[in-house]
Amino acid sequence: METRRVPTGILGLDDMLHGGFLSETANLIEGAPGTGKSTMGMQFIQYGITECDQPGVILTFEEFPEQYYRDAASFGWDFQAHEAANTLRVIMTSPEVTQADLQRLHGRLETMVNQHGMRRMLVDSLSHFERLTDDPIELRQVIYGFVNGLKRLGLTVILTRENAALLGETPDVEEDLAFVMDSYVLLRYVEIRSAVHKALLVLKLRGSDHANDIRQYAITEHGIEVRSRFEGTRGIMSGSPTMTHAEAFAAAFLPSGRTS
Amino acid sequence: MAIPDTDDLAASLMDDMDPLLLDLIQTRINSFIKWDLVRFYHENPHTTDTADSIARYIGRDPRIVEPELEQLADDEILNVEELPNMRVFTLTNDVEIRELIGRFIAACDDRQFRVKAIYHVIRHLR
Repeated sequence: METRRVPTGILGLDDMLHGGFLSETANLIEGAPGTGKSTMGMQFIQYGITECDQPGVILTFEEFPEQYYRDAASFGWDFQAHEAANTLRVIMTSPEVTQADLQRLHGRLETMVNQHGMRRMLVDSLSHFERLTDDPIELRQVIYGFVNGLKRLGLTVILTRENAALLGETPDVEEDLAFVMDSYVLLRYVEIRSAVHKALLVLKLRGSDHANDIRQYAITEHGIEVRSRFEGTRGIMSGSPTMTHAEAFAAAFLPSGRTS
Repeated sequence: MAIPDTDDLAASLMDDMDPLLLDLIQTRINSFIKWDLVRFYHENPHTTDTADSIARYIGRDPRIVEPELEQLADDEILNVEELPNMRVFTLTNDVEIRELIGRFIAACDDRQFRVKAIYHVIRHLR
């Protein structure tokens, strides 16, 4: 059966996802502050509106809409114009309100999604659900219900999540969350030869094959660009990779600039 | 000849504005908290949230904000919805009221207008 894809419009990422996320799925992007989680989500929304005729909605639990307008404008994306054209809604609310709204018949969100034909959503960020309960089992149930509510509306969703680990720590992959989500993209800072780079890994894409290598990416003036894989290093996702045996040999014995 | 009451004189000067906006300030945006709330909803028109969260967004005490939100809902500037265990406030969908609020916020850019509006709010609070 052919599976419908929802391209992100992020250069390089769609190749890794073999065309994009699957339609009507929940997709987690996790990373440390500043790694570009929200930018990735905004780019997904922007691409949907301008290239796929798929209106979008941003649910924000921490930032004022004004912040999104400003951030989007820095990449040349006019979110205020999208709002005026009813192809975007930036909604500031709280997790408990959204959850209660989704649970009722014909809630505000459902009405809005149906009224404007919204197809994409950015939830920024899932971390705010963690203040609803200290019980991890209850939290998983809350998020599971929330995600299913969004999928019921026919939305393809990107959810962001903060990961406090900046460098040098093994990323804390939440197995409970990974189970609930249809895909899981991990963003990391990595230090290589005294310079900090950004690394991206698609950990999971339910129902589809995907690239398993770790890629470099950059936040450019046009948005996120996923670039080539890291070469000659291992332990990338630990934040402090080491050279492979071949690279270490080359660095030790070959003149500078030569690797073979 | 009777000398005009200074309060009346001041009031007549301060009343010199668009009558619809004057009525809005005198009857509905008649406190500084409501002013903050109306500005907040004008800038964030899709906000859907509880009094506690809204209070946090505007940096005010929830105990003070909640009754003001309720009054704005009574005055049809906001809608209030009952969700399980919570009341949620949103901006009215009424186009005329939204336009009137937009005019009020735009008028506030003018210092003279602001002075007059502040006068009326303080007068109401006395």
